[in-house]
Amino acid sequence: MTRMRWLALLAVLALVVAACGTTAETTTTEAAEETTTTEAEETTTTEAAAGFEGLAVAAPDCEYGGKISSIEATGPLEVTFTLCSPAPAFPQIVAFTPFGIQPAEHLEATGGSPLDNPIGTGPFVLEAWNRGSDIVYQANADYWGTPPAFQTLVFRWATESAARLLELQSGNADYVTNLATADIASVEGDANLALLPNLNPNVFYLGMSTNSPPFDQLEVRQAIAMGINRQQIVDNFYPPGSEVATHFTPCSIENACNGDDWYEFDAEAASQMLADAGAEGFDVTIYYRDVFRVYLPEPGAVANEIAQQLSDNLGINATVQVVESGEFIDVSGDGTYGMYLLGWGADYPHVSNFTDYHFGEATTQFGAVYPDIFENLVEAGSLGDPAAAAPLYEAANNAIKANVPMVPIAHGASADAALATLEGAVSPVFGAPQFELMNPGKDTLVFVQNAEPISMFCADETDGESLSACQQVVEPLLGYDLEGGLKPKLATECTPNDDATVWVCTLREGVTFHDGSDLDANDVVASWALGIDASNPLHVGNTGAFEYYGYLWNSLMNVEG
Amino acid sequence: MINSARQRVLDLEKLAEESQFLEKPTSVWRNALRRLLRRKIAIAGLIIIGFWLLVAIFAPLIATHDPNRGLLGQPGITRRDPPCIYALGCSTEKPQHILGLDGNARDEFSRIVYGTRISLTIGLTTVTVAVLVGAALGAMAGYWGGWVDNVIMRIADVVLGFPALLLAIAIVAVLGPGLRNALLAIAIVTIPQYARVMRASVLQIKELDFVAASRALGASSWRILFGRVVPNALTPLVVLGTLGIASAILEAAGLGFLGVGAQPPSPEWGTMLSEERNQLFSAPHLVFFPGLAIMLVVLGFNLLGDGLRDALDPRLND
Amino acid sequence: MVSFISRRLLFTIPVLLGIVVVVFLLVRSIPGDPCTAMLGERATQAACDAFNAANGLNEPIPVQLGIFLGNLVQFDLGESIRFSRPVSQMLIERMPMTIELSAAAFIIALLVGVPLGILAAMRHNTKTDVATMAVANVGVSMPVFWLGLMLAYLFALLLKDTPFSLPPSGRLSAGVSPIPFYEVWGRSVDPASAWAPVYEFLSNFYIFNCLITGQWEILLDAIKHLILPALALATIPLSIIARITRSSLLEVLGSDYVRTARSKGARERRVVSRHALRNALLPVVTIGGLQMGGLLGGAVLTESVFSLAGVGRALVEAIFSRDYPVIQGFTVIVAAGYVLVNLAVDLSYAYLDPRIRLE
Repeated sequence: MTRMRWLALLAVLALVVAACGTTAETTTTEAAEETTTTEAEETTTTEAAAGFEGLAVAAPDCEYGGKISSIEATGPLEVTFTLCSPAPAFPQIVAFTPFGIQPAEHLEATGGSPLDNPIGTGPFVLEAWNRGSDIVYQANADYWGTPPAFQTLVFRWATESAARLLELQSGNADYVTNLATADIASVEGDANLALLPNLNPNVFYLGMSTNSPPFDQLEVRQAIAMGINRQQIVDNFYPPGSEVATHFTPCSIENACNGDDWYEFDAEAASQMLADAGAEGFDVTIYYRDVFRVYLPEPGAVANEIAQQLSDNLGINATVQVVESGEFIDVSGDGTYGMYLLGWGADYPHVSNFTDYHFGEATTQFGAVYPDIFENLVEAGSLGDPAAAAPLYEAANNAIKANVPMVPIAHGASADAALATLEGAVSPVFGAPQFELMNPGKDTLVFVQNAEPISMFCADETDGESLSACQQVVEPLLGYDLEGGLKPKLATECTPNDDATVWVCTLREGVTFHDGSDLDANDVVASWALGIDASNPLHVGNTGAFEYYGYLWNSLMNVEG
Repeated sequence: MINSARQRVLDLEKLAEESQFLEKPTSVWRNALRRLLRRKIAIAGLIIIGFWLLVAIFAPLIATHDPNRGLLGQPGITRRDPPCIYALGCSTEKPQHILGLDGNARDEFSRIVYGTRISLTIGLTTVTVAVLVGAALGAMAGYWGGWVDNVIMRIADVVLGFPALLLAIAIVAVLGPGLRNALLAIAIVTIPQYARVMRASVLQIKELDFVAASRALGASSWRILFGRVVPNALTPLVVLGTLGIASAILEAAGLGFLGVGAQPPSPEWGTMLSEERNQLFSAPHLVFFPGLAIMLVVLGFNLLGDGLRDALDPRLND
Repeated sequence: MVSFISRRLLFTIPVLLGIVVVVFLLVRSIPGDPCTAMLGERATQAACDAFNAANGLNEPIPVQLGIFLGNLVQFDLGESIRFSRPVSQMLIERMPMTIELSAAAFIIALLVGVPLGILAAMRHNTKTDVATMAVANVGVSMPVFWLGLMLAYLFALLLKDTPFSLPPSGRLSAGVSPIPFYEVWGRSVDPASAWAPVYEFLSNFYIFNCLITGQWEILLDAIKHLILPALALATIPLSIIARITRSSLLEVLGSDYVRTARSKGARERRVVSRHALRNALLPVVTIGGLQMGGLLGGAVLTESVFSLAGVGRALVEAIFSRDYPVIQGFTVIVAAGYVLVNLAVDLSYAYLDPRIRLE
């Protein structure tokens, strides 16, 4: 009988083994095919032996809706970006990890899909990705900047904040991300640990859609804007350092806080307004998704709190409804939910990253669109000079306050934690911790984040966990310093022409990739072309969507159909 | 939780096969009740269940606060405050909350008290639905045999081919999260157990003399099935059902824990626990008490089910 | 016997096929499409269309089902949408973890459950019996996730600076990774060969791998990480095995041949160990097999509590991210394993219990 059970188990095993065997074979043949196509490609593209022949990628014209007209290697160490319209935020966007540079040869060799073997110029070299358990990096001794003070960097992950903190407390980790609000106090009270506040700009708001009565009435929206005690929410549900939102965009960003502050909390006046509008005591459902974000650390608890406030302060009968994240984003984006909880974390430090996405002409998430908001935004976006744009953002902010498409509630603070012995531990405003600036005083530094990366080819990833793993290996032209300002990386500088439509980036000399090859302008063009040009044979990636290329530059080039 | 169910099925199928007490159902039950009351374990189960029933019925009288009302803004209130009991030396300057406060500053004790209603409802409704549907299908399969039997039992095999919790998760993912859908998923997943046990009982009983006699006297199939066969096959179903209530409550809590069961702000214990699992180290009371409540309810039904099985199983009566 | 086995095997084919089709249809009817789940909240419609086309999600459902079944017959489980990696590769990485966990839990359950059951039966109707059965009942009544969290709280936090401290998550300590046995033995494995995945699969059983290659420190580390999840997962089968052992031993002890042995003047301990135990344990072994099958699926909650990258958690994550190929592939393999284990158990039942006719 035991024999029979063994037989059964063996059968399962055989099934698995057989399944694996066949797929392994098919993938190799696929890979072989891909290599042949890329070889064919290589003969047409040009990297001749004699002299420098620069690669280029260009859109046929600017009608495709994207921001980039062409990217050209105009010298061995010079890349010129020509844009279809002015882009004052160009350097801030370029510094984003998805725009990291890898050797052109490596991109070809991997068929445009170096998912688990990135080659970069960064301070750490990827050694091994042990799926399900950790990622191990070694210090890059040949780093162009100051090489790291320690040898081995280990990435691990745990979904629960409590588990991450415990790893730290038990000495198994040196640095952990995203403490839960409740854990912040225990870190502060522990002399062995250091609390590292994170100041990534973000906003949490209560959205309302005019498609769903009675939110089509301006008075109702204004009454709600006035009838929520935002201070009480921030005091009780947000970690220290969080702020009640005075404007949609947090004030740490230039031009964000021009214009009047948000309405003061006044429950009586708000109830009176509702009564005057004839909209007392209606029923409403507050939709939200149960996903941790720095702007909304406890979605369920905050949803309950807002429901209770609406009922106490305004006599509105509110219930809460959690929705699966993907569905929530779809449906709230269409403006179908009358009332919903959502927020925004900055991709790059520019006010347009907040305002244009939410209040542009094409936005549907609040039902109606408001010309007195978006007309100002469009005009401001065409100006390279922040001072000239200032009055336009002021007008836009005041129009947001007057129309109340949503109620901005909080700018959330978050915090990482590290061992007190970890020298130089800082949680940067943008991007992942910069471990090359830290010193654990031993050979190995262990970092614990929320989840395992999806892949390590970040041109085609969007989740923060993948981006932080990539950031250690692959570098973009520019980078963010710890305060969120820009710093040179592979480019020593990027300079615009007068109207910010042409940007010339000068590359750093003598930078080598982890495979020993030298960085030149063609590597930059190849890396960018792979992402931005949908017709590029190497436009493969993981999902093939290259979401951030399409989103931050308005569209990919040469998209079929 | 998962395979215990299948083991029980096999167990009870065997019990059904070996039942020797089928002629007079009423006396069987009277004897069983007498034997049941002699068993300390069963008594303990009855007491526990009785306790929770009382809690559920008198929840509004027992609860000290509104279970869904956050107390933020009132003096001395901090979210996730640990238990404060005056009798145990908690300062009387603070408001008394014997099991502490939760993430919305709601009284944890009152939420657990009201949660009793949800958990008992979960257990009773899922099992009722599953027993009714399962017994009907099983009776049909067992009585008519042939292709009816084949179709029903192959479908049952497919359902039993999945680990129950995984299938329930998938069903809830399809239907959308929420208590009603979770109940439905658990009922669907457990139907085959009852069908199999019922079928086994029916197969045994229909060979017995009194059924053969009825058939010879020209009674219709339906009449024989529901008048004679079904009442006699109920014994193992009652045992399985009692134990099924226990596992249904556990499974619902598991679904709640994974975020696809009852949705907040409902005071369902698994959901309450799941909402606060991140606070395990800073506010352990919010994980400990709901879990303890789940355990105690489930324990009650498990003890009673065990006692019932022993009482109804002639082999174990010395 | 042979015809009985082959008929049972034949019967499992439609069941497996049914499972495959049910999984496929269930997966497609989950609301929310993979595109927004994969590409994130800022995905455009154009990006989604391209994504669906690239992954064959724009075909009609019956066509997709046909393709899936066709590939399945060739043992091709497809490629994860989320990770662009073969599902079989993910199984190679994650199955060993889950099997190791289940096996550890199973061993704990047997080693503790059987003696408890014997104890209770030998002291039938005494306080020991009642106490043991009460404990067993408490064990079955505990939510696994709750027990897991409580164990983590106790061993990782309260006992933090004591020798009893145990890690609350993960499979190994940071930076620790065992050297695969084939590398230790200096055997080079050609990654393209058909045997490479087998080697990799086997070396992912960390405890097995470290045991045969003598990597003792890593072995100890792996065992430390395994104890808490295995304890949590073992509780329910442990309690069930204790109860079955007790009732089955009681049944045997009441039977004629045992009475005969007793009447011959044999001592009780000898009666139990010589005559009763062997017969009484047969059903225990069978039930144990069933538990093993269930553990594989029941590890979902345990893996979630202890952040373990096993099959169960991968499956739940795949459901949430609508990664169709992973849900399908994993479920089919888990269900197939489950069905086959159950089949083996049924066969052993038939083999052990002469009352079941092998017609």
